[in-house]
Amino acid sequence: MRHDFIDRYSRIASSIHNLPSVLKLFSTLSIIIITVAFPGNCYFFFPTVILFLIAIIFISTIPVGFIIRRLLLMEPFVIGIAILSIFQEGGWEVFLKIMLKSTVCLLAIIIFSNTTTFTDFIRLLRKLHMPVVLVNVIALMYRYIFVLIDEAERMQRARASRTFIRQKRLFWKLQGSLIGQLFVRSYERGERIYRAMRARGFS
Amino acid sequence: MIPAINVMNLNFRYEDGTEALREISFHVQENETVGIIGPNGAGKSTLLLHLNGLLPEVKTEPSSVSIFSEGITDISESSIRRSVGLLFQNPDDQLFCPTVYEDVAFGPQQFGFDEKSVREIVRGALKEVGLEGYENRLPHHLSGGEKQRVCLAGVLACQPKILALDEPTKELDPRGRRTLIEFLKKKPITIIIATHDLEMVVELCHRTIILDSGKLVADGSTHELLANERLMMEHGLEKPHSLQHRHPHR
Amino acid sequence: MHIPDGFLDTKTAIATTLLSGTAVAVALRRLQKNLKPSHVPLLGLSASFIFVSQMLNFPVIGGTSGHLIGAVLASVLLGPDAAILCMTAVLLIQTFIFADGGVAALGANILNMGVVAVLGGYPVYRILYRILPTPRGKIVASVFSAWLSIVLASVFCAGELAWSGTSGWAVVFPTMTNIHMLIGIGEGLITGIIIAAIYKTKPELLETSLISSSPNFRQSTILYTVIFSVALLLLVTPFVSDWPDGLETVAATLGFDARGIASNSAGALLPDYTIPGVKNASIATIVAGLVGAVIAFGSAVIIGRILIPKSKKQTVQ
Repeated sequence: MRHDFIDRYSRIASSIHNLPSVLKLFSTLSIIIITVAFPGNCYFFFPTVILFLIAIIFISTIPVGFIIRRLLLMEPFVIGIAILSIFQEGGWEVFLKIMLKSTVCLLAIIIFSNTTTFTDFIRLLRKLHMPVVLVNVIALMYRYIFVLIDEAERMQRARASRTFIRQKRLFWKLQGSLIGQLFVRSYERGERIYRAMRARGFS
Repeated sequence: MIPAINVMNLNFRYEDGTEALREISFHVQENETVGIIGPNGAGKSTLLLHLNGLLPEVKTEPSSVSIFSEGITDISESSIRRSVGLLFQNPDDQLFCPTVYEDVAFGPQQFGFDEKSVREIVRGALKEVGLEGYENRLPHHLSGGEKQRVCLAGVLACQPKILALDEPTKELDPRGRRTLIEFLKKKPITIIIATHDLEMVVELCHRTIILDSGKLVADGSTHELLANERLMMEHGLEKPHSLQHRHPHR
Repeated sequence: MHIPDGFLDTKTAIATTLLSGTAVAVALRRLQKNLKPSHVPLLGLSASFIFVSQMLNFPVIGGTSGHLIGAVLASVLLGPDAAILCMTAVLLIQTFIFADGGVAALGANILNMGVVAVLGGYPVYRILYRILPTPRGKIVASVFSAWLSIVLASVFCAGELAWSGTSGWAVVFPTMTNIHMLIGIGEGLITGIIIAAIYKTKPELLETSLISSSPNFRQSTILYTVIFSVALLLLVTPFVSDWPDGLETVAATLGFDARGIASNSAGALLPDYTIPGVKNASIATIVAGLVGAVIAFGSAVIIGRILIPKSKKQTVQ
């Protein structure tokens, strides 16, 4: 189902998945922070970390192809900005370092997001004392992302079945109008949800 | 006997002035199952929202609605919310937590139960609707019928004395609908259902109320009312198939 | 404009995280004072809305497409504090669940697209709308401030990259700013179309921001201004001119040599020029920016006229 594209592999029961969320987050953050802070003089660092992450991938039984595809999805953007770094003294070295660092960090976060369910992530945020309002907003946001995507798709399909001219200008106007309607619907849905919350004691 | 629901001369006007309900009066006895039918825009949903105090936004005394002889005021509002479990039309509006467990637990948590009791209540409610083991499921992975049942579990978890349902079979496929009807048949509780599903009304409700343009136009035995073809057509409805060959006074 | 990991060095990551963290804390504080229970679902749904809107394609040329960021849109609809909160929620999920944007760079991304875009765009919107308090004026104000928000965000982004030594200011500032002056047109246009659509469907939603700020907001407005200024000081001004001793002292106290960074990058790129060279390229971009702003404003007026034709305008009380 379409809606799996986020959580597809976060529900496997491997030994990595079963680790406590705090540990998973902490290790991911450590890897990222160390990589970012790393001055980059010792080139043993990168192969070591990458091998470590690859080992984690294998233990977690997440398909390697999936991880590689997620990685490749992000690379164009990385390269796009990284190119700017070439135009300075020692630019190529900077470029290489950036590419290595960003790839390592990307790997780490892709592994994290595919070994941690969203609910565990929310629980983690609460445990770490993130402000309640923010966590609740995130939880609600996540719940309704799929609902809104479905709604947007339905509106797009309805529009497409009545649009016969292929004009970019028209498309922009219709797309913008769709988003506007999406907001109105989201607002009204918010009101209905509030009602449902009150019906079960929320005040 | 104290009626479970007592509505006396209920009037309601929306903010923009449109009248939604006009001088509605009826009562529902404990353990009765009553159907509310009528054309679109008749005010069925609006009426249900008055039963647990969601409307009117500003309460006036004396209240037009009493639940087990307690009027709905600002003070009694929260206990009435527990007594009257309202199931909304669209499950996506009502199922707002990240997991099934959290959503069903929402009500009991709001009402102040401790975690252990909440867990037991949730388990019981899910079992009652046939969704045992669904605790960790995600709402967006569920079918329409499953979502509806989770919402029902969420309402049952509040341990209400009255169930008010707004178009409960709208989003259900035939199997889901059958499951719900059988469930409601067996549940020994006061039930009031606003619906277009006339066949369900025939099956479940001994009594029916017909609403049209905000007014209560009929209140009586389901078979009598629904078999009355002229009455049904007059109010934007039609005689249900199961009563097609039934004489109104049989 | 989501910066991935590896582009920002430690000090930049820490500084931007502190700045954006403070801004989010201020936004939360301001919200909580006035937060009605009904606002919670509204905030959640709005964050969802921003998230999904960012996903929708607007085809440009060839196969490329543009996307909405939505900071000014959120501010116009919900007010600046709620906007900051929603943008933060969206970025958090994008980073941790979608790997879109780096974790160490999250502070910078929130600063650029959440804080700077909102705090830079919203006041301009308010001022313009006050001058033109009509529905059409609202469109013009939104379009222009949306454009501006993107440009501002890109300036700060450039500053962050330059301060990290990832790229020389003389390269990254003109590149980022010029590109985003173009991209910003898309943001402005899309924002205008959306607001016009809402106006046609349910104009009551546009009367005031749906979540109002706390009444005594002067104190926190000062806080916002301070945060914005500190960010500006750290990330932009060191590069823009050879500020005299005043800033150098500040910079030296903070532990880095602004002039040193600027001259290194410039020196490498343009070996025969010294700091005046940086100044020239920067000033050229700033001039281009001002010209761009005038053009953007003019376009905003035209867009306003297209989206709300004269007949509609006359029927408005």
